[in-house]
Amino acid sequence: MDIKAYISSGIIESYVLGLASEEEVSILNCIRKNNIEVEQAIAEAEIALEELADSQAMEMPMQLKQNIWDKLNAENLVPNQDIESTKYREIPSDDINEQISIKRNNAIVPLKSYRWAIAASLLLAISVGANIFMYQRNGDNQSQLDQQVSLLHKQQSKLAVLQDKWNLVQNPAIKTIPLKGVDNKPDYRALVFWDQASKAVYLSIEHMPVAPKGKQYQLWAMVDGKPVNAGVFPLDANEDIASKMLDIPTAQAFAITLEDVGGKDAPTLSALCVMGSI
Amino acid sequence: MSPLHNLSEETLILLLKKKNQQAFSYLYDHYASALFGVICRIVDSSEHAEEVIQDVFVKIWRHIDLFDTEKGRLYTWMINIARNTALDHRKSKAIINEKKNQPLSNIVNREEEQDQSQNEQHTKADFIGFKNILDNLKPEWRILIEMAYYEGYTQQEIAEQLAVPLGTVKTRTRAAFLQLQQLLKEYR
Repeated sequence: MDIKAYISSGIIESYVLGLASEEEVSILNCIRKNNIEVEQAIAEAEIALEELADSQAMEMPMQLKQNIWDKLNAENLVPNQDIESTKYREIPSDDINEQISIKRNNAIVPLKSYRWAIAASLLLAISVGANIFMYQRNGDNQSQLDQQVSLLHKQQSKLAVLQDKWNLVQNPAIKTIPLKGVDNKPDYRALVFWDQASKAVYLSIEHMPVAPKGKQYQLWAMVDGKPVNAGVFPLDANEDIASKMLDIPTAQAFAITLEDVGGKDAPTLSALCVMGSI
Repeated sequence: MSPLHNLSEETLILLLKKKNQQAFSYLYDHYASALFGVICRIVDSSEHAEEVIQDVFVKIWRHIDLFDTEKGRLYTWMINIARNTALDHRKSKAIINEKKNQPLSNIVNREEEQDQSQNEQHTKADFIGFKNILDNLKPEWRILIEMAYYEGYTQQEIAEQLAVPLGTVKTRTRAAFLQLQQLLKEYR
């Protein structure tokens, strides 16, 4: 629908003047919900009539305020608890006698009003207390929920990593080569997943300390007795991840050394950590 | 009881729903004269206007629970109540007049008719002299607003009375609103 044409047809003015047909009104109500321009135009037209009314205001006849208040009371439209104040009065400030007599009236029923006041204060205190309690409990619940959500996220990403690895293991083209710790590092373990079809190599550090600052693990493929660089294990990688390394067409063994960040062209043999042959 | 000042519309509605007397007072002090101004332009005497404004306040008070903030503005809602009550009042008086064998008010002889009824009632002439921003509207636009808003004619009726196509009535009404908005801007 062409909204500009719709607005300039004058339908909105008909509507605010109360002249639109039922059908037109239901169409308009439907459009205004979804169209800010129409909603805006309606508000502007309404404000125009409000301001027109302001500009044409007429002084109210005296006494009418009291008359209307009396009428509301006469028609039982004012709740009972207001009964003591049903006499609507604008007390002239100079009418001291009037004020005194009102004070005296109040003095006759002090007990009753104090009782109400005490009951009201108690209720207020209880309500405030309950609110604080509920608010705090709500806060506790929220922080517990936050903890659980972040735990869930952690576990989900862990699961995703494991699933990736599982997919590698499941793939018949993948050869899994366990790398074992060398003599002085017997508990180190890593896994190389080597795709025999695509020659892609993935490295998963299973049990090795996080590389110290300034250092990085580097993978080597032993090809005909010579080490070939197979890439460095990313520093920011999740420790469980199987990281994609450089493609290696042929190899007889894989090994990891701990090198300076960025890796080296030739392995530092004294820094050998794990190795495994195919 | 200290008077209330500068209530937000939301708070006012809430207090009105609780039938709070101060809310009544606030409502009256802030809106009565404007609503009364609308009514005075529709009914034909200040006596009738006083009757109507009382009914209007009773209606607002009684039906405030039906008012839906989602669907509109409180002031507009109250103006519409004032306007409809006044138009109904006017219609019922017109029927009584008809029974008295007087012709229905008609746009052409309206002026004369008002003169006739002047003896027994205050007429709209009562109100002549109050500032009227509508007087600054282009006359062919002003008549549309007056007929529609204060006289309760449908646009079809207006089109027939003025012998112009219905579409023209609608687009002129829009033009009238646009000029009115401009005038109000200057008035502020």
